[in-house]
Amino acid sequence: MNKTYFFPIVLIVILGIGALFLPESTYTEEVSPDQLFLEINDPSRFVTTEQVARAIIEGDPTILIVDTRSSDQYKAFYLPGSVNIPLEELVDSTGKINEKWENYLGIEGMYTAFYSNGDVCADQVWVLCTRLGIKNLFVMKGGLNYWVETILRPKPPAQTAPSEEFALYDFRKGASMYFGGGGAIEVETQIAEPITPIRKKKKRVISGGC
Amino acid sequence: MGPLIANGYIDPAWNNVIALLVGIAFGYILEASGFSSSRKLAGVFYGYDFVVLRVFMTAVMVAMIGLIYFSYMGWIDLGEIFILPTFMTSIIVGGIIMGLGFVLGGYCPGTSFTGVAIGKLDAVFFTGGLYLGIFIFSMIFPWVEKIYYGGEQGPVTVMETFGISRGLFAFLFVIATLMAFFVASIVKKKVKNIEL
Repeated sequence: MNKTYFFPIVLIVILGIGALFLPESTYTEEVSPDQLFLEINDPSRFVTTEQVARAIIEGDPTILIVDTRSSDQYKAFYLPGSVNIPLEELVDSTGKINEKWENYLGIEGMYTAFYSNGDVCADQVWVLCTRLGIKNLFVMKGGLNYWVETILRPKPPAQTAPSEEFALYDFRKGASMYFGGGGAIEVETQIAEPITPIRKKKKRVISGGC
Repeated sequence: MGPLIANGYIDPAWNNVIALLVGIAFGYILEASGFSSSRKLAGVFYGYDFVVLRVFMTAVMVAMIGLIYFSYMGWIDLGEIFILPTFMTSIIVGGIIMGLGFVLGGYCPGTSFTGVAIGKLDAVFFTGGLYLGIFIFSMIFPWVEKIYYGGEQGPVTVMETFGISRGLFAFLFVIATLMAFFVASIVKKKVKNIEL
């Protein structure tokens, strides 16, 4: 055997043996832990109940509101126009977003706001989805508890409060009437149709050959 | 991360530029390996020169091992790589025709252009035949369409067909290739050397 070939042959055999023990496709589009940490600490990932209320009232088509509680809880009460994606069913056994929901999450140009009763469940969904590389995700700060407190049963601010708080209170009172909260006349709320799934644009495949 | 163009790291508008650069590199390596000589190429059929076997198998081996490690490092998503669909009938029929042409003309389509680039007359002649063949094929395509699309199996891979892991297949391939190199070197010693 020619001595020039000795080193390449040994190298390729070693690499070949190495390939035997490599785990199959560890590749995921997961966000790195550092990046995730930065994003978790970023307060701009929260939206207020007022912002969500405004989006619902105005019928903003770019905002998808997602209920992360179980379907029983969803049936009992939900925000108008929201989609129910329970935390338990979000991810399938392969660690990817369940096929049922993949048309809802991660659509370009759409903003998604998660809510649950408190913050915890929505936060968990937020972390899972962010980890899987989905962009433009938000959590409704305080969840439905805070929703009831601020939107459905707003309390008037103190007489000495700054005028911004009164403006906020006015908005909340209006929203409370819209959503049929305490004190307001009960009206049948028009529930928006769930957004029809839009197929995500397929990534371009490289075509060609010899 | 990869494939770079499919994942938007490189704009698809660069496709042709990259193709040109890769093509130049490919042509250079073909010429540097001596693939512009039809006698050297045909040697693989007569057993006096196995450069075709060595170059192509080495390329496949390196690319295969490289992709596996790239995938492991997370630099490329093997699920997004284009895999040519398999058409069994046309592979067999086309393979026979291509092999006949190779052994007769001493070039395969790619290397004939390498030959043209350095002014080999037989390569020019071969390339003329290649275009004539393409023309005839496109004229008679309606008659051969059934063969052309025959035995469609989709983008299958050996690993999926035999249910073995990617790493095992790569390892077996490396061993088989090295054995082939070894056998080729024995055959070459037994066959009388030809002045190239």
